[in-house]
Amino acid sequence: MVTRAILISSFLLFPLSFFLFAQTPDARTRGVIRLKVKYKSGDVTRELPRKRFFLIKGTLDENRLLIEKIKQAQVMSRECYYRSKGASEALIKWLNENDCDSVYCREIEARYLSGSDTVPEFQAAYNLGLREFKTPELARRWLTVNLSADIRDGFYKQKQEVLDALVKQSEAATKTRVMSVMTDRKGTAYLTDIEPGTYTISNLVGSETEKSTILWACEKEVKAVDLAIAMRRPFTLSNEKDPKFKCEIVERLLPVCEKTAK
Amino acid sequence: MTNGRSKRKGTQRYPQSAQREILCVRSRRPCRPLRLSLFTLTVVLVFVIGTVFTSAQTPRHKPLSKTSTPQQAPKASAARYSAFLHSSEKHKSLECNSCHKAPTAWTAQRDFPDVADFPNHDACVRCHRQQFFTRQALAGSGPAICTVCHLRAAPREEVRFVFGKPNSAGQAAKPKDEHQFTIEFPHDKHQNVIASVRPDRRLDKAVGFIRAAFFEPPADDQKKSDYNNCSICHQPNTSLNIAPLTRPADTSAQVNRFFKTMPHSHDSCFNCHWKNQKPVGDDCAGCHKPAPTFAATPALKRTSAMFSHEGGKNEHVLECTTCHINITRASTLLGLTPDVPIAACATCHKDNKKTTYPKIVTIEEEFEQFKRTSSCAYCHASNVGKKKPPPSHDAAVQ
Repeated sequence: MVTRAILISSFLLFPLSFFLFAQTPDARTRGVIRLKVKYKSGDVTRELPRKRFFLIKGTLDENRLLIEKIKQAQVMSRECYYRSKGASEALIKWLNENDCDSVYCREIEARYLSGSDTVPEFQAAYNLGLREFKTPELARRWLTVNLSADIRDGFYKQKQEVLDALVKQSEAATKTRVMSVMTDRKGTAYLTDIEPGTYTISNLVGSETEKSTILWACEKEVKAVDLAIAMRRPFTLSNEKDPKFKCEIVERLLPVCEKTAK
Repeated sequence: MTNGRSKRKGTQRYPQSAQREILCVRSRRPCRPLRLSLFTLTVVLVFVIGTVFTSAQTPRHKPLSKTSTPQQAPKASAARYSAFLHSSEKHKSLECNSCHKAPTAWTAQRDFPDVADFPNHDACVRCHRQQFFTRQALAGSGPAICTVCHLRAAPREEVRFVFGKPNSAGQAAKPKDEHQFTIEFPHDKHQNVIASVRPDRRLDKAVGFIRAAFFEPPADDQKKSDYNNCSICHQPNTSLNIAPLTRPADTSAQVNRFFKTMPHSHDSCFNCHWKNQKPVGDDCAGCHKPAPTFAATPALKRTSAMFSHEGGKNEHVLECTTCHINITRASTLLGLTPDVPIAACATCHKDNKKTTYPKIVTIEEEFEQFKRTSSCAYCHASNVGKKKPPPSHDAAVQ
């Protein structure tokens, strides 16, 4: 009797265990995208550094509503934002030179606190810090804690609000978590551990370059592939039309902003 | 220690009738058998002991007087208060800054405003008056509660434990690297905003910029702005002693010297989060999440224990995120797996790769080495190097 019970349960458990084993996620059953982002500005082609790209489940057609919304989403350009907040020319220049969306992007060097390169906002925050933190070095390193919110990271936060809303919307529509990565200085990024299927890759909000903003929404079929193979075959996004890829690209010239009043 | 013989020696023996006299309650009824009486006695004893024990443990709820606003902690075993747990129900219900003040007097202990010391006496006394001042608490070696922060319980005892490592007498064994909190750090959000300048030799060295790249940039490249944002927190450190997955015999001065530093002080956070930028300096819970009990600090496991960020004959020229491919995606402190895939190494360490670098050891050469010596020693310590290379390594060089 006992032997029979053991035999029956073994027969039942064996296929179950096989099924469970087969369900365990394996790196080789997952997909990888090596993303390479370039843009042509004038005669020069450059890599797009440090911009975040999002992976949304579904084809371009399936995400049509979202894509229309992305195209309509309005985010003020960096320069216009800071001018609207009364930022000094020196600060705008500092942000542009360093390609920074906020003041956290770089450690603020001493030469911006006095002399010909002085950024008035930094200087004022530094002077407050000198009273609070005593040592000049600490006042410089902790300078951002005494900057106003608008100047500190207001532009980054307003852009982030738009991005968060779009991500939330796409997650609700696709019922899948949106993955995101940031390109390195060579415009390369890796999206790993992806469930095979068709996806839309987009930066959701136009990325600022020297003269324009570029928005991408491209379709990519992801197959199970080893990372080493994926590394050899990048998926390139460019503002130049490529018939091989199904992409919607919106390039807009940066607006001319009103000069700062002060 | 009492042995069996001495026990027997010390036991007074009575005749059976006398035993019955002692163990039975005198009554009009004839005496019951001994077995039943023993049972009854045991039940009574258990009841009495239980009641006494429970009453000692149960908090005595006194009506709060109008002046005493903070609720007093229950009167219980004084020894129990020699260890402090953030995770106790009462402590959990308090705001962090109701005890920890930011900043404490910092100038003597730190170069920056910080929570650098234990909370003051008031933070403890307002609830634990009984554990400090009752006769029971003062008996013996003094109030045990003092030894949460102080080395001894004495009125003039000034010496305290190092802040952050209070007494753990209540914990069976708490290694020094265990904490009552884990740290929440979203790498992805920080990757979005931070970046650091690369060293610029034209600048005055006294300014003290951190070295921002893990390679020596070519001279003509120094004029460009760069994006080595990781280096704000992770800097080169040749003295870092990270326990790898190595056997003790493998541990030499050569091993584990080449990994980056990790932030260990609030300075790395407060430079942006001191005030205004949330979580701010006095919002401890913004970053420190309570662990159920003392949690071991996760030791970093190094698979490629011989890897050197500063090494590679000074030719490791890539950006951090080029190899740490998942870090801009990670919303956690420790990141995602695989953090650095072998394929990233194969970008250069591969036979058919045409590089401009001097001769470098390739993965294929290490395969040959493995065939000869059963060990891959160029990147790995022997605990990993003696294992058969995984399929990912083959795929990387195909």
